Amino acid sequence: MRKRLLTGVIAATMAAASMVATTSAHAAAIDYSKCTDLKSCGGMDALVKAAQKEGKLNVITLPRDWANYGEAMDLFSKAFGIKITDDNPDGSSAYEIQTVKTAPASKVPDAVDVGITYGADNSNLFSPYKVQNWNDITSTYKDASGRWYGDYAGVIALSYDTSIAKAPKSFNDLKDPAFKNMVAIGGDPSAAQESLMSVFAANLANGGTTSDVQKGIDYFSAMKASGNFVTALASGQNFLAGAYKVSFSWSFNGPGAVATAAKAGKTVKYVIPSDAVIKGTPYIMAIPFNAPHPAAARLWTEFLYSENKGKSSTTLGSTKGMTGSKIFAAINGGQNIWIAGGALPIEYDAMVAKGTNATAPAGYEIPAGAKIVTPSPADQDAAKALLKTQWPAIAGN
Amino acid sequence: MEVVKAHSRVRSSGRGTGVLPLLPFFIFTGFFLIWPVIAVTLRSLHGNKNEWTLANYRPILKAGPYLHAFEVSLKLSIITAVIGSILGAFFAYVIVKYAHGKFGAVIDSISAVFANSGGVPLAFMFVAAFGTEGVVTTVLKNLGWDIYAGHFTIFSFTGVVLVYSFFQIPLMVLVFKPAIAGLRNEWEEASTNLGASQLTYWRRVAIPILTPSFIGAFFLLFAGGFSAYATARALTVGTVPLVPIIIGTLVDGNVISDQANLGDALAVGMIIVATVAMTGYIWAQKRAAKWRAS
Repeated sequence: MRKRLLTGVIAATMAAASMVATTSAHAAAIDYSKCTDLKSCGGMDALVKAAQKEGKLNVITLPRDWANYGEAMDLFSKAFGIKITDDNPDGSSAYEIQTVKTAPASKVPDAVDVGITYGADNSNLFSPYKVQNWNDITSTYKDASGRWYGDYAGVIALSYDTSIAKAPKSFNDLKDPAFKNMVAIGGDPSAAQESLMSVFAANLANGGTTSDVQKGIDYFSAMKASGNFVTALASGQNFLAGAYKVSFSWSFNGPGAVATAAKAGKTVKYVIPSDAVIKGTPYIMAIPFNAPHPAAARLWTEFLYSENKGKSSTTLGSTKGMTGSKIFAAINGGQNIWIAGGALPIEYDAMVAKGTNATAPAGYEIPAGAKIVTPSPADQDAAKALLKTQWPAIAGN
Repeated sequence: MEVVKAHSRVRSSGRGTGVLPLLPFFIFTGFFLIWPVIAVTLRSLHGNKNEWTLANYRPILKAGPYLHAFEVSLKLSIITAVIGSILGAFFAYVIVKYAHGKFGAVIDSISAVFANSGGVPLAFMFVAAFGTEGVVTTVLKNLGWDIYAGHFTIFSFTGVVLVYSFFQIPLMVLVFKPAIAGLRNEWEEASTNLGASQLTYWRRVAIPILTPSFIGAFFLLFAGGFSAYATARALTVGTVPLVPIIIGTLVDGNVISDQANLGDALAVGMIIVATVAMTGYIWAQKRAAKWRAS
């Protein structure tokens, strides 16, 4: 009883003291699970300090070879001395949301990277936070209150085994008899996003518009009739077994897929088709309301949305004794790390305008003068409905 | 009266000690069978806002992709169960008749291995053998027969039927062999002595005795084919839209975020089909056992 009274007195004194305290004392009172932008989080130096005090960051379903996330995690860990735990790297968006809802407090992810519908449908699970570059994020793909925001998207690329006689550069090239029994797709386009976008790309290459994918469906139908299109599932395993030589893939999976194939003794190349540049709907990022390391979560988000060009995890030296803002300014930002991974980051247009974008690796450059097209959700629904009736006939028995 | 009492006492005490060793089994089935069935059923009756509803069942009952998935799943499992049970029964007969001793034991082991193969590794085996660049494809091509010249491809419904037969036939051999082995020579001798021809013996004696076992085995193959999906998923791109594959895209995908309960309703549909198949199996097994007993 007495002890509790004493604590009460101390608390009251401290509260009174903090009211008249200077700004530095005020910073200590920041609730990092509530601050909604860098300013209310006390600035970069304070945020980094708080994140380093937490010392850990939980991420979830981030494959190291997906959109260059391996480099992003290594660089963040090295620069700030924060240990990253990546739960179930190969899981799905549904798994991420399920984990936010059901995991024990310390295992909840500090940030999620999910399909866009999972953000809009679960916005009550996320804390609002607006990064410094908030205005550079395309407005179509962010929640006005900052609960979720687009992060990066892929472009449909042609991926092929370099052992084939002719290197394809476009959808049109693939009609050549030289590609007989060689072309495959990554799934059922009425259900799998990558395949749906491949049909949109084929459609665009053949003069179609995003509101009607009939020409894309006809393309695959003709390719099936000529024997060029095989109905094999384009997967790493079927590729190694020789089931197909050319397929359509998200550009951000390219560097990882090329490395995996190299380990099995195959040389794979990626190229953005010259007759259609289809960019997918971006994935989105969000900070769960119950993130166990709220300061590290906000720092991770600032890092991923930074447009800096700086040091990588291999070129960065020791950051000991440096202030948070100095470290932050010295390292590559996530947006450029994603570009190096073959992805198109959400701030890409703004970066091109400002000249802050890094050059894309060879093979992932957008062909000069190409128009980048993204089908709207309504277009995608219409295409799926059409494919549900027509695709089974193409895939055949 | 007293005898009856004593008898019942013995039985009840026997039951008391009998349940305890089974407890781990009950806990196991409770956790991994009963609880999931209840949870899935309850979720299938709820909407996204956690309200009670039957709406999840509506898309399944009208013509569309979900009903179609059930048609494809049923078609695939019935076709492969027919192929598996007929060929498997024939092989089982040949094996019982001609493979004795060690040779028979070797065949048993091989059948058991094949019957339990499945999933992605099995799909990979077939791609390596019958794919466009597969070993068998290449050998046949060198012999002058290009199996890919026509419409055939391993990555199709026909291809999946071929792959499923690979485990359905040996499974049939395993479950049907005991029934054939149970045909006693005395029965054949007796019918011959009574003047029956070989054909009459099969028509009047052997086939009626084997029928319940055959039907039971058929239901078992059907249930196995109905629940398998990894093989089809690893091979095809929407040609074989099996119910479990659709459930996967609904409850564990990256694109559709608000239809997990529909996935649960599809799962309940599968549970119903499986229950019917298992009821048929149990019924047939009882008939088979009755025959052997009398």
